[in-house]
Amino acid sequence: MNQIVLPVVLPLLAAFLMQPLARVSRLAARVLGPVVLVLCAFIVARLWLNYGDAPFMVSIGGFAPPLGIVFYADHLALIFAFAVPIFSLLFWPGLGDRDSDASHLARRDALVLLLAASGTGLALSGDLFNIFVFYELAAVASFGLASLSGTTRALVATLRYLLISAFGSALSLVGIAVLYMKTGTLNLADLAQVTPHTLQGPLGLASFALMVIGFGVKAELFPLNGWVPEVYATAPARVSALLAGLVSKLAALVVLRLLVLVFHQPEASQLLLVLGVLSILTGELAAWRARDFPRMIAFSSIGQLGIVFIAFSIDGDAGLLAGVAVALHHLIAKSALFGLSVRWNGSLEALAGAARRAPLAAGLYVLLALSLIGVPPLPGFWAKILVLVGLAQGGSALDLLALIAILLVTAVEASYLFRVAVRLYSKGDSPPAGHAAWDLGVATALGAVLLVSTLGIAPLADSLRSVARQAGDAALYVDTVLPKTVARKD
Amino acid sequence: MIELDAVINLETLVYVGAIGLVAIGALGLALSNHLFRMLLALGIAESGANLLLILSGYRPDATAPIIGYGPVGASMVDPLPQVLVLTAIVIGVGVQAMAVAMLVRVFRVYGTLDVRELRKRMELEVSTAAGMPVPTSEQAPAGERPLPPVPAYRPSYGPIQPRES
Repeated sequence: MNQIVLPVVLPLLAAFLMQPLARVSRLAARVLGPVVLVLCAFIVARLWLNYGDAPFMVSIGGFAPPLGIVFYADHLALIFAFAVPIFSLLFWPGLGDRDSDASHLARRDALVLLLAASGTGLALSGDLFNIFVFYELAAVASFGLASLSGTTRALVATLRYLLISAFGSALSLVGIAVLYMKTGTLNLADLAQVTPHTLQGPLGLASFALMVIGFGVKAELFPLNGWVPEVYATAPARVSALLAGLVSKLAALVVLRLLVLVFHQPEASQLLLVLGVLSILTGELAAWRARDFPRMIAFSSIGQLGIVFIAFSIDGDAGLLAGVAVALHHLIAKSALFGLSVRWNGSLEALAGAARRAPLAAGLYVLLALSLIGVPPLPGFWAKILVLVGLAQGGSALDLLALIAILLVTAVEASYLFRVAVRLYSKGDSPPAGHAAWDLGVATALGAVLLVSTLGIAPLADSLRSVARQAGDAALYVDTVLPKTVARKD
Repeated sequence: MIELDAVINLETLVYVGAIGLVAIGALGLALSNHLFRMLLALGIAESGANLLLILSGYRPDATAPIIGYGPVGASMVDPLPQVLVLTAIVIGVGVQAMAVAMLVRVFRVYGTLDVRELRKRMELEVSTAAGMPVPTSEQAPAGERPLPPVPAYRPSYGPIQPRES
């Protein structure tokens, strides 16, 4: 089980080997990234299959927690540790892409590998220090990737993204400082033990708010998500798919861990709920107004992530189950949509008649749109209904407000997603070019995953329920990371 | 009446200063329209956060956390926040260097760093690249905050030309 560090270490190593290797052999440098990612996915899958049900912990360098740094792997962490290399591979910029110029390939591949390494690290890390470092690493890698096209508009968008993101990091650093002042530890398991009697009240809430807003930059959460449409409109579509699909979920996972382990108090949940509602309202209404395809799905992803945070605010395992379900569904559906936007990167008007040129892509779009809206047999419906039922059971005024907001924006969502579907199937003079085989293949595979999970929704729900129960079990986390209760001297 | 000495001591002042720096940085980011000034404001906010972190491990009567340094048995300041701050400073420097590099490239092409102007140009380019009609004032949403008039930006030395080699 020590191998669990390899999915973080190997891509990091490969990223730094990339440049020298490219000088020796360009071909070796091109295949290095995909090979490493396949290896990482294989390692995680093998660990997952062999290691059974209980979560496990690896202390880096053999230093025992709470002083040492730990990786904690439960099912949820392993799902994401598996999804990171898989999705990085699916949206690997060099695959099936013949026409890109060869000059910056090594640099670009190294950045994607850095993103994969830091993403896996974020999923597995068991202390805030490491989470902060991996988060920053992911941020820097995504700055590089967002400005990959080298156009000035991409640079302007990236600059604004950088300013917002770095400011968010400063805020979360302030939050971490407050947390450390009150508790004297940054290990999540240790924090879970001490926070119930050290971090109640306004100071704890302030610390949580700062961290949620800070980590919420990547998770496209309400106050600091102004970068989303600009970056997704100017970055390469595959990079947008990675950022919107994968990185945002990892930031949401960090917030989930903080909520379950450190800030387990009703005020914190309410804060998440309010931010989530503001996210879905602003995101979906802006998506309704958007007039080009990339920005429409970018705004829509703000809305979907808002639903994830609303779900996290629901008390107990039901909320976690709903949040994880929405997050995984969005990971699959929105990544596939961004995959389609590789060629459909223009205005919505220009999509007229695209169904004739690319019938499969148009069919996929309709499937994904239906699932995003939440039309019954598809997984998106089950994810959304979990959130709605959870909110209805919560029953407070805020919960009901969120429920109404979700229903309202679902109507808005249906309106703008179908507007595009109608345009796809209408007559047009100059439909956009068909998709490259790789992009279409990836989107088809993700759509097929959605369909298969529709058929197997009952066993899927059962396994997700056990994943959520494990993720919500703070005592299990503490027992796993700190096996014998360390006598704390206060 | 509250005794002033109990409320305002040095420690409180430093705390207020640290949080004040973060607030100044936030205000600078929100109110400034010049990208370079926003970058400077970001630097101020980051120093505030770093100062606050250092304070979280600071003890007035302690020495540096090095074994063999200072008298035996003396208390030491907490090294963990210092390590964290070191990391944060390094990351901050890297990010700011990257930002300055991008700033230079943006300035070479557009000849301005005014955010409103840059966003307008970016919007224009995105729309043109996407094949959309350029948004005009009639199509602009009614709810958007009207901007104060942009002062005519006249760089004293014009857009930097790429150096001829």
